[in-house]
Amino acid sequence: MSNVDELARRARLRVVELAARKAIHLGPALSLIDVLAALYTRILRRDPARPDWPDRDLLVLSKGHGAYGLYAVLAELGVLTTDLNELPGHPSDGIPGIEAATGALGHGLSLASGLALGARLAGKDRRVYVITGDGELDEGSNWEAAQFAAHHRLGNLVAVVDRNRLQQEGDTEEVCALEPLADKWRAFGWRVGESDGHDITAIADAVTALEAGDGPAVLIAHTTKGRGVPFAEGDPAWHMGELDAAQRRIAVAALTASA
Amino acid sequence: MTTTSIPPHHTSVAPQSMRAALAPVLAAAVDDDSSLIALGADGRALFNQVLERDPRRYVDAGIAEANLVGVAAGLARAGLRPVAAAMAPFLVRRAYEQIRLDVCVPGLPVVLLGVGGGFGYGPLGPTHHAPDDITLMSAMPGMRVYCPADAADAVSVVRTLLADTSGPAYVRLSARPDPVLPTAASEGDPRGPRLLRDGDDVLVLATGRCVAEALDAADGLAADGVVAAVASVTTLRPFPATAIRELAGRRPLVVTAAESLAPGGLGPATAEALGRPGPAVISLHTDHRYPPVAAHQDLLRFYGVDGQGIRSAVLSYRHRKTREA
Repeated sequence: MSNVDELARRARLRVVELAARKAIHLGPALSLIDVLAALYTRILRRDPARPDWPDRDLLVLSKGHGAYGLYAVLAELGVLTTDLNELPGHPSDGIPGIEAATGALGHGLSLASGLALGARLAGKDRRVYVITGDGELDEGSNWEAAQFAAHHRLGNLVAVVDRNRLQQEGDTEEVCALEPLADKWRAFGWRVGESDGHDITAIADAVTALEAGDGPAVLIAHTTKGRGVPFAEGDPAWHMGELDAAQRRIAVAALTASA
Repeated sequence: MTTTSIPPHHTSVAPQSMRAALAPVLAAAVDDDSSLIALGADGRALFNQVLERDPRRYVDAGIAEANLVGVAAGLARAGLRPVAAAMAPFLVRRAYEQIRLDVCVPGLPVVLLGVGGGFGYGPLGPTHHAPDDITLMSAMPGMRVYCPADAADAVSVVRTLLADTSGPAYVRLSARPDPVLPTAASEGDPRGPRLLRDGDDVLVLATGRCVAEALDAADGLAADGVVAAVASVTTLRPFPATAIRELAGRRPLVVTAAESLAPGGLGPATAEALGRPGPAVISLHTDHRYPPVAAHQDLLRFYGVDGQGIRSAVLSYRHRKTREA
């Protein structure tokens, strides 16, 4: 197991421990941890010694309900040193490593577009990454932003869709079908890549390949909601939940066995 | 009778558009401040001179207000100073959540210009009316809210805001040219009330387009033997409560007039500022009645916030007090 896979595994353990203390958005936090691990360790230009380095690349978690996944990864990276249980269920301003308050869905892509355009106008060689949920793409503001980013050829903007195919109410294709999702992005003028969203090398390679082109790019990362906790995987009931003692033992055992 | 000594406020000057007056101000601001960036969603008329000078300093979001505000927030986080314009009904209501979460909660210095607040779009009907813009914006955390009275006042407000990066601001602009007011309506600091006419019997406080109506009412009241003071209140939030208390002085009656729903607006803010014991406060404002298809001026009359409505309110109150006494 690589160091980054180990980082992701330990982040999952943190999420499980949090879910044993209170109800959290468990499934959405677990699905995006490998994407976060890949971006933070292989892609983002950042300075661990200076988290506020003004030229750092930026990451906006548009699916803010995945907050505990992000907090857990930031904790593994040493950016967050507080008790994660004290932090709000959606990212807020003022938390180390959090670039923008998010969680109302359909905001992140516009924010990231403004950040990317701002970097260009300031003459900065800075890249902006935004992670959206797939259910979140029901919000029309995403497509306003997609059109905008393509029109302005924001080549320093990369979106990653956490394509776990489940939203709170069930299968995305049964709630309000998103497919053909890649074609939609292409039609809006984006370059599109796809990868296994739990293969850190594949994620990093796909993002790197996308960055070679012109204009905004999106990676559709195929993930499993609740990844790493056997009884939660693919079960929309675990969109939000609290683990009882037995469930916690099963989850910890599964994550420990995968070490 | 005092009518002969008080000239009516009407002048022969043609009405002026706030947008036309602001266009050169915004263009000059782009020259003065390298961080200033203009954005519009169907709001290009304000920025045509910016575009002429440097197309990179104007970002057209298309007809997409939610994205407009989100992008403006991102630009502000990137260190730029966004000034974003769109039609008021759509800027305020379609992008409400973006304004709150993306701009107001982090307190970003984004100036929002809402074109056609209130009933400015008149006969275009309720889709384009925004009597709720002041109310909604007043509910936003940290939002400063301005309702200029004429084109020169709009310039005074925007100039003040461009020099002040302390947080988000909303400015209600007219859709159509407004009557030109006496220069006192745009002189001095727009963050406090401005006295346009003095008088001891009643203080009429008005905001936005209703300031012209208040002056009309004062003319009419003079003929009725009532000497009215008139003050323009451009800044509704933070409300200049202390200055309003001083202005009200010992006058027995204060009438407020606003082309706006009551909550968060001039009337309740004035009543709260003056408190008890204080003068009687009559708040004239619009309501939720579905309006007729009518010109802006006729809609002001329909809701009772025109000169005639203000005059009637004053006379009714005085008549009632006389009967009580």
